[in-house]
Amino acid sequence: MPSVKVVNGKQIVVEALDPSQRFKRFLAKPLLQMRYNREIILAILRRELASRFTGSAGGWLWAVAAPLFAIAVYTFAFTTKLQMTFVGEQGQKPIAYALFIFAGLIVFNFFSEMAYRSPMLLHEYAHFIKQTIFPSDMLAVISTLRAAAYTGIGAIVMLICVAAVKGGLPWTVIFVPLIFIPLSAFLMGLSWFLSAIGAFTRDAGYLMINIVPLFMFMTPVFFSPGSWSFPWNLAIHGNALTAYVEIMRDLVLTGTLPNPLTVLWALATAIFTFYFGYWFFDRYRNVIVDVI
Amino acid sequence: MSSSTSSEVVVRTRHLGKAYQLYAHRSDWLKQVMFGTWKTYYKPFWVLRDIDLDVYRGDSIGILGRNGCGKSTLLQVICGMTLPSNGELRVTGRVAPVLALGATFDAELSGRENIMIGGAVMGLSRSEVLEKFDSMAEFAGIGDYMEQPVKHYSMGMRTRLAFAICAHVEAEILVVDEALAVGDAAFQRKCLDWIDSFRRKGTLLFVSHSPAEVRRLCNRAIWIEDGRIRSQGEPSVVIRAYHRAMAMEKDDIHRFSVSE
Repeated sequence: MPSVKVVNGKQIVVEALDPSQRFKRFLAKPLLQMRYNREIILAILRRELASRFTGSAGGWLWAVAAPLFAIAVYTFAFTTKLQMTFVGEQGQKPIAYALFIFAGLIVFNFFSEMAYRSPMLLHEYAHFIKQTIFPSDMLAVISTLRAAAYTGIGAIVMLICVAAVKGGLPWTVIFVPLIFIPLSAFLMGLSWFLSAIGAFTRDAGYLMINIVPLFMFMTPVFFSPGSWSFPWNLAIHGNALTAYVEIMRDLVLTGTLPNPLTVLWALATAIFTFYFGYWFFDRYRNVIVDVI
Repeated sequence: MSSSTSSEVVVRTRHLGKAYQLYAHRSDWLKQVMFGTWKTYYKPFWVLRDIDLDVYRGDSIGILGRNGCGKSTLLQVICGMTLPSNGELRVTGRVAPVLALGATFDAELSGRENIMIGGAVMGLSRSEVLEKFDSMAEFAGIGDYMEQPVKHYSMGMRTRLAFAICAHVEAEILVVDEALAVGDAAFQRKCLDWIDSFRRKGTLLFVSHSPAEVRRLCNRAIWIEDGRIRSQGEPSVVIRAYHRAMAMEKDDIHRFSVSE
């Protein structure tokens, strides 16, 4: 039987746990919460995916058309005289360069969608949080899954284009779905953190609008990370998104396995961000109800 | 004082208080969160003070009081939507809040889709919702409007749909907050009949401005004023005292101001 005890604004958990058990509980908590709330997550996710394109005649065609259109524009830009000077690095063919950018953009757009939306996320669902017993920590999970679904569509379009251009896919593409696990965990943590801050102040939203375009150049979307010299390359490689962009390009375009150090860095930042974000959100969730 | 059918306490509060934090500037929230340990940036506005309440299994309690006296906040605290600022609260059992009916409805979606989401929010699994869907649709009685977007619904139709969802959540403690005011007489009667049958097996907390409803449904009444329990006991006794006070005391316009 569920029993809740609250004393002086703090929920009391009756069991006494030693530090190692507390740590295990801390690690398990976000995952257990997701499992426990899976019905709500699915119900709202289904609604969000369905309503994204309601009211448009094209519907889901837009989800496929957008990445196709992007790739067409890049190819056009780099096959015609529009070429900018820094473009022709490593003597790549224009279409290959378009795919090179596209692989970076898929990762980056996932990030930017989350970064733009997260600060307003709790305001969007304020009526749920205030009026019902609602697991507000699951909103970040839902929005990550939604963005992951669109990113997945983009990735499939990319794979089709690569297959069409190169006449086949390298065997390493089977690892592409695996990238989504740490990348989603990373962005989920980011979303928990940003949405908690965004509940207190709208400035978080405006800040992200200014910062995200900056990150586009901090992330090797238009260039390869090796083309920067010390000390800038440290900043580029420190950016966790760089690791995902590199892994994506290795797996899809060059057909090699990624550098283990890059993978390790991606995993470490993902785990840290995931748990830090959840810890931060959990700490302030009771205050957030009264603020929104 | 309480006429309980069994001795098990399902909701127990001791010295329960809730203060909303009033800020001069919106950004002070952030300062409070960051530096709150050292300095206080808000004025507390006490909505609830020193509430001592024992609700036994099978009780049905009517809560009376003027607008803004803290009735709804008390229910929100008991439901666990917001934490109390001080005091002790223990709740045992699954709580179903019928507070802001239809607050979770998405105006763009049809009644059917809103039932799917509303049911999930109330803790039903998808298969349970699908199983109970026909019964919900019958209870709501809005016919073909079920497939229309909720934005085309009237207020009464929204209430019907929302109450239909709540009536199908198998709760142990039902919390109803002036929800039925907008329904027509026939629907109100249907809801009251349903609540009447619910209270025979579950525990009920019921806010209403209608003395007749409280007399019919409740075995105990609580009158809250300025966040404190002013009187509790037999519904008819409390209601009489409440009405006498309402007739004598004027509407105080300074009620919602923070006292210095």
